[in-house]
Amino acid sequence: MHREEELSGLERLRIGPEVSMDYPIWNVAVGGGVLIGVIAVLHVVVSHFAVGGGIVMALAETRLAKRPDPALRALLKRSSLMLILVSTVFGAISGVAIWFVIGLVHPAATSALIHTFVWGWAIEWAFFLLEVVTALAWYATWDRVRPRTHRLLIVLYAVAAYMSLVVIQGILAFMLTPGRWLETRGFWDGFLNPTYLPGILFRTGACLLLAGAYMTLAALRERDREARLRLVRYLAGFEIAGVLLAVAGLFAWKGALPPEVQAIFLGAKPLIVAVATGWRHLFFAVGASALLALLALLVPRAVRWPVAVVALLAAFGVLGGYERVREGARKPFVVRDYMFSNGILVSEVEALNRNGILSKAKWAAHDAEPTPVSRGRAVFRSECASCHTLDGYLGIKKRTAAADADFLKLFLTSLRDDGAKWTARPPQKADFPYMPPFVGTDEELDALVAYLDSLKAPVTAEVKRGS
Amino acid sequence: MGADLVPALDPAPIPGPPGLLVVLWVVTFFLHLLFVNAALGGAIFSAILPAALKPAARRPAALFLAEVSSWAISLAVTFAIAPLLFLQTLYGRFFYTATVFVAPVWLALLVLLMAAYYLNWAAKFRLKAGKSADLPIALSAVLLVAVAAIQVAVYLIQVQPALWSAYAARPSLVLFDPAYLPRLLHFVLAAVSMAAILPAAFPRAGEPGPGEAARFGLFVALVATGAQFAVGLWLLGVLPSGVLRGLMTGGAAKLAPLAAGVLVGVALLGLLVRAVAAPGNVRLARVALAHLVAAAAFMVVTRHQLRDLYLAAARANERLVVATQWNVLALFLAVFVLCAGLTIWALVRAATDRPGPGETAA
Repeated sequence: MHREEELSGLERLRIGPEVSMDYPIWNVAVGGGVLIGVIAVLHVVVSHFAVGGGIVMALAETRLAKRPDPALRALLKRSSLMLILVSTVFGAISGVAIWFVIGLVHPAATSALIHTFVWGWAIEWAFFLLEVVTALAWYATWDRVRPRTHRLLIVLYAVAAYMSLVVIQGILAFMLTPGRWLETRGFWDGFLNPTYLPGILFRTGACLLLAGAYMTLAALRERDREARLRLVRYLAGFEIAGVLLAVAGLFAWKGALPPEVQAIFLGAKPLIVAVATGWRHLFFAVGASALLALLALLVPRAVRWPVAVVALLAAFGVLGGYERVREGARKPFVVRDYMFSNGILVSEVEALNRNGILSKAKWAAHDAEPTPVSRGRAVFRSECASCHTLDGYLGIKKRTAAADADFLKLFLTSLRDDGAKWTARPPQKADFPYMPPFVGTDEELDALVAYLDSLKAPVTAEVKRGS
Repeated sequence: MGADLVPALDPAPIPGPPGLLVVLWVVTFFLHLLFVNAALGGAIFSAILPAALKPAARRPAALFLAEVSSWAISLAVTFAIAPLLFLQTLYGRFFYTATVFVAPVWLALLVLLMAAYYLNWAAKFRLKAGKSADLPIALSAVLLVAVAAIQVAVYLIQVQPALWSAYAARPSLVLFDPAYLPRLLHFVLAAVSMAAILPAAFPRAGEPGPGEAARFGLFVALVATGAQFAVGLWLLGVLPSGVLRGLMTGGAAKLAPLAAGVLVGVALLGLLVRAVAAPGNVRLARVALAHLVAAAAFMVVTRHQLRDLYLAAARANERLVVATQWNVLALFLAVFVLCAGLTIWALVRAATDRPGPGETAA
């Protein structure tokens, strides 16, 4: 029978890293990171539209109460179907999909997040329930209820949707900047972390920008020219507000990052230069969005289908660029300074160097034969496979093709030496290497070298007959 | 061998009283199941309508069930989130492992679900336009049954760690688990029973007398409920001996929910026999529906007990460490009460608020 023991206060810190975890490994051809990224981008766009759409539609319907406008009402009615089709199921299912896929690729990290934030997610779920029901009710009650009731439904929706963002942002930001949680393990220390508020500011702006851009596109279906120009100008206000909030949020967010992460944006690490270029591309997207929003405000007649589509793509770029940079800046962690992207805890590096990674990685090791290559494959699966495929994304064969066994050993040894830097405090602590340290015994390191070496195509010499 | 492969407990403590987490899990799963039954059963019932009724007779019922499903699928997805949260908190190491074995299928579940949802909307729009929607309805039913089949597979894998070595090598083996088919059938029949009663329990306004679909629905519900007894016995008979023994010798606490579920099921059968004879009796149909909901509640509790019995050996030495986050838990309860209250208020207001004379609608 299982037993329970209640801990209180700082007692929880006694739970040591010696209690480690092991899960089977899902070898996905395109790379787990790519899969997570694709699903996350889809979900992020849809969910931010759902939040921003709620705010824009609630404000627009409130405006209708004071200034009746058949064109605006028609636009809202059209957009309400889109809101429920993308929000109540696509948004919900793609959100669950992120959860499913991180549970498959990083089960240990998912478990750590659940154990820390289950009540936070539960709070978000309560808001989401209200969000879904009010969205469906709002759509279903056009032409049926009194205007005040209809308005109340969309206002409730907007508040619930925004609150779900306010909650989830705490957990997302925690993964990059866990703040005092690293010392206290307290929920609020993790939730109200350094990038929490800046992230909310940015995301609020992105929501408004995205909703304004989409609804501008939808508004172009209006046949009455005057009404169409009025709608475009009205929606441009949301886009401009969105750009301003997003820019303020971006600078506040960057300022709240640890200095070593900020340095990445200046291109300090050539091997993760994508983050620096991503940051620049993000500002290109912000600039394009600002210009197109100003164009819509000042010269609404210039906004035709191509312009509206480009504005919507630019809004996608703003949000997608931010997520790309945020994910890149977190490398090589899932939860910064706590858990590496391969599920190894920072606190267990020393013990695993002593006892071996295969002492922990039961699933990776359970079918390994006692040969160096087979054990090396088990080491690869437990430490490298969460990011590297064999031939696909970040394919290891291509990356090690030019390296001989001696070089591989030298490289892995230097990666193992990095481990000590990770467990140290600043200023000795490692700044921003692009990969987790290698952890394991000498024998495991040699086994990994043997495995990586075995992946190379056999080199055969061609000898000319008679030469 | 397999049991050695169970991952260790998460190093972080459980952030709330396990008993409370179980209650929240079971309650939210029950609510999830009600919406699943409406959507899954509705799709299957609508898909078999063409075999029994002419287009003019079946279209109103199909439209009604498509409208129910457009809410039910959204709410089923929403209510799936909470039990998944609590399940992962308590049983994450079993759940994650099982899903990794069937990873592509597990992810495909969401694609199938999304496709079923949009097919349901397509069916709704076609029916509203007076067109046939037999194909999207049938496809939606097939996809939702596939989703149920995947869920049953994951459940059976996660509760049997002793078989994990075999499942890791060949996950499709779970399809040959003796409990797989009866468990899936048990689930699907319950869904069909529930959805088939709906047209009789909620006749559309202005419809004179019982419609043919209501009549047929009550008959289908009667047959499905009758079959449920045979399938239930089949399922009990194929449970692993240790699990069955644990259930039968576990005392009143273990047997009471199952016994109550069976008794309510017997009463439901009697009610359906009467309802088939008097298909216009809306009250009788609603009482039958209430019995079905009660039976589902008891079966959800039994399902949870069976999970514990399956996992008893694997969890024998488990030492759950708890560090309750009381202030966050209190905040959750407060937010939940607030949001649930506002949700109910919004639904009532949407259903009852109508413009008075001289007023315009929104």
